[in-house]
Amino acid sequence: MRLELDPNPTPAKILGLYALFLGLALLLLGGVFLAYGVSPLRAYALLLSPLGDTLGLAEVARRTIPLLLIGAGLSLAFRVGFFNIGAEGQLLLGAVGAAYVALFLPPGPWTLPLMFLLGGALGALWVGLAAWLRVRFGASEILTTLMQNYLAYYLVVYLVAGPWKGQFVFGFLYTDRFPQEAQLPRLGDTLVHWPTLLLGVGAALLLQVLLFRTPLGFAWRILGENPAAARYLGLKGGRLLLVAALVSGFLAGLAGVGEVAGIHLRLLEPAQISLGYGFTAILAAWLARGRPLLVLLTAPLLGVILAGGDALKLSLSMPFRVVDVVAGLFLLALIGAEALSRHRLIWRR
Amino acid sequence: MEEALVRAVLFGTPILLASLGALLAERGGVVNLGVEGIMALSALAAFAAAMAGGVGLGVLAGVGTGAVLGAFLGLFAVSLRANQFVAGLALAALGLGASGLLGKRYEGVPLPNPLPEEGLALLALALAALLHLLLYRTRFGLYLRSVGENPRAADLFGVSVDGVRHLALFLGGGLMGLAGAYLSLAYRPSWTDGMTAGLGWVAIALVILAAWQPLRAVLGAYLFGLLFFLQFRLQGSVPIPSEAFAAMPYLLVILVLALSGRTRAPKALGIPFERGR
Amino acid sequence: MKRFWALAVLALGLALGQGDKLKACFIYVGPIGDAGWTYAHDLGRKKAEAALPWLETRYVESVPEAQALPVIDRFVREGCQVIFATSFGYMEGVLEGAKKYPNVIFAHATGVKRAPNVATYMADFYQVYYLNGLAAGALSKTGKIGYVAAFPIPEVKRHINAFTLGVRAVNPNAQVLVRWINAWYDPAKAREATEALLAQGADVFAFTEDTPTVIQTAAKKGAYSFGHYTPMLKFAPDHVVSGQIVHWDVIYIDFLKKVKEGVYTAKNLQNVDYFWLLQHKAVEMGADYGVPINPKHVTLLQKAQMTVGGKKVSVYDHILALVKDMSSPKPTFDPFTGPIRDRKGVVRIPAGKKATLEELLTMEWAAAGVVGDWPGEPK
Repeated sequence: MRLELDPNPTPAKILGLYALFLGLALLLLGGVFLAYGVSPLRAYALLLSPLGDTLGLAEVARRTIPLLLIGAGLSLAFRVGFFNIGAEGQLLLGAVGAAYVALFLPPGPWTLPLMFLLGGALGALWVGLAAWLRVRFGASEILTTLMQNYLAYYLVVYLVAGPWKGQFVFGFLYTDRFPQEAQLPRLGDTLVHWPTLLLGVGAALLLQVLLFRTPLGFAWRILGENPAAARYLGLKGGRLLLVAALVSGFLAGLAGVGEVAGIHLRLLEPAQISLGYGFTAILAAWLARGRPLLVLLTAPLLGVILAGGDALKLSLSMPFRVVDVVAGLFLLALIGAEALSRHRLIWRR
Repeated sequence: MEEALVRAVLFGTPILLASLGALLAERGGVVNLGVEGIMALSALAAFAAAMAGGVGLGVLAGVGTGAVLGAFLGLFAVSLRANQFVAGLALAALGLGASGLLGKRYEGVPLPNPLPEEGLALLALALAALLHLLLYRTRFGLYLRSVGENPRAADLFGVSVDGVRHLALFLGGGLMGLAGAYLSLAYRPSWTDGMTAGLGWVAIALVILAAWQPLRAVLGAYLFGLLFFLQFRLQGSVPIPSEAFAAMPYLLVILVLALSGRTRAPKALGIPFERGR
Repeated sequence: MKRFWALAVLALGLALGQGDKLKACFIYVGPIGDAGWTYAHDLGRKKAEAALPWLETRYVESVPEAQALPVIDRFVREGCQVIFATSFGYMEGVLEGAKKYPNVIFAHATGVKRAPNVATYMADFYQVYYLNGLAAGALSKTGKIGYVAAFPIPEVKRHINAFTLGVRAVNPNAQVLVRWINAWYDPAKAREATEALLAQGADVFAFTEDTPTVIQTAAKKGAYSFGHYTPMLKFAPDHVVSGQIVHWDVIYIDFLKKVKEGVYTAKNLQNVDYFWLLQHKAVEMGADYGVPINPKHVTLLQKAQMTVGGKKVSVYDHILALVKDMSSPKPTFDPFTGPIRDRKGVVRIPAGKKATLEELLTMEWAAAGVVGDWPGEPK
């Protein structure tokens, strides 16, 4: 028994495989719920409950925003061959930039645009360091960007515990609240800061066009698929890589601005700022297989899984780790189905 | 100074073991990003078994659990040719999640007879040397490296690419399992949800720092252990904010990497092997 | 007649089924875990549920700060009448939720802002830390006491200060070496910070972190330690001297009873603030429940002498006397009674004055004897 590539899988086969794998994942999850004395049917219903009402949809949307921004950037960076694992840190730098503008520059109608600009720029600068180390010294960006996450974490702790600590926070680790001009509008009484959502959708569309409809995108794709060919064609690999990296960092920075200006309204302890969006977005990007446009699909999908898991832990008083189990099983099902649908099973050698 | 070296080794050991596990798989061309989850579940299995039948059984259970989880990743990353990165991250989430759900009743329980850390530290060192020999002095090592560099050629020479990769993931998982067992049976010694606290990711990073060589992984892990200890040893002794000291290990790892120059990853790393292409 | 009975049975069934149960829901900031802050709150929840037959509880763990409001939305929709939010960071979410749902009663742990339907509560350890400090001062041979601390916020600073005041009351030259790990839960950092302090000569330990790691590490090298939040004696029976133990159930039961009796409504909580201490039995000094001092260390502490008001007394007797005093309805002693100078020599509490609640809740200075970095230290 072995696998062979199947260049043209039929829609029926693809659909069938996804149904099969998702069914398997649900079956396994059902076992977990039974072990916890919870009716699997009720649990499945809860898992999908975020899709059923505005409150739930708002929760999905709120998680989608940063995943979309970062995921779009990462899908480009991965495609070009820059494995940016440091979106979490770039997001934090974006938050720092936003906080600086909000707290220390005179407020006005320019405040929000300036926050996005500086936040994005700091995110880009942060990843730019890793990109430069890669281009100049050949230092692996997987390692440098991962390490930079920790640096960003401690930078934020230092700021909120030290020089930027607020006057009105009772000594806790927060800056003061951002002024009105530095707060993003939200949809109704939800936490959905829609301007950032629009930015995310725009970024995904723009990157898709950039990647597939422009000479720059063509060069990027060649560099990603075949660096040797890129060299042969005389493409400036280092510069192309740097630009792609900067774009992904900029977008992660924007996501950070959105989180602090749209939800927290202040800079705070780093573990509370992002909830690991920088890492979850890696999944959104990989699931999109190098197509920024597809992130418009994968980011909300992950948003549903996370919000559904949260509904489970809340309504059934289950341990929070149930969210991880749900996410892990669904991801395995998704990529298992994806992989198998690209292949044919050959029974004899 | 002496304590610092002792801490470097004793805290470096779980990172070293997990790094060796990741390194073994990566030399065969498979990235295992599930380290954090594998360690978490193995730490729990080791602790549960040790409570039931002593630390010896605990170590076996930890290694066994790690190996099984490594093989499980192989099912997706090798057999199904799924995206290795996503499969690994999914395994990390699943392992962490499952350990949290299954382990509740072991929380808040002290282990009566913990393992001595020093013994395991020596074992880890020996395993690093052994892995070095395995890689460069045995036929399996040759197969493994060829599968990681050029699987098509290896396949033409009759090496079973999938078989070698499966075995590498299985053995590597066992090493990660030992790392988990070290945490819950020797380092703490007790079990709490999330006790791996990100060490798995550090281990993955160290494989790169070590340029995919077991002996350099020893240096890298000990260096990290040393810096991690020093952040607390030096904190408060000079007028530098504690956050700066906390950031130091990560900063120095970046510096070391930049200075040590270009390292080359196995060529086929992260790419599923398709015979027809 | 038949119909009457049917209706009566139905009504009874409804009454028993839905009950007149009060539904109280808890928002936890971390996982329940095995020893820390959230574990203690959950223990309190369980004890309250066991003690109050008309109470039904629900909880959700690991809720990030920004998610307080969405969680409140869901809890209210599921019929929660009382919502306990157990982290300072939930403040804005709670206040917003309270406005949105004016008929739901909220109680916010460690909070400082109230509303007609938002009360605040805290079970504070500073007295217990002082008492443990006395014991630590007596037991240290090197005069160096280690403190592994989580985040530099007033609560932790207040505890370190109270502990240090206790240490210095016994040994005026002792030092409390503080190491920040910038995490509420991180066994690896707690372990290495403890090792670093051991290497620097510390031989007695106190800490703020959500696991018994500091205790386990100290015990390996034969160093004494004080448990935190929950009884930790079992993790090092020979080395845990005492510790701080919380009884959130005392507050939860009192609060919920008053809600049930109609004393507390969603209109009159503006001034309801629990800052409960030893005298309210909300906290306890102990290596384990009902064990104020580990019997193995009693003799040592009896032999140790200290000067109180010009007279020599045994540290053990002094601790017990203070426990008795501070546990009485009208305590005469308070650790933060002036004159107290900070480590830079600035008078922080003038002679004869006690620290006000406000001063306790916003404490930023470091007591004399504290050694180490101190983020946010006033100039």
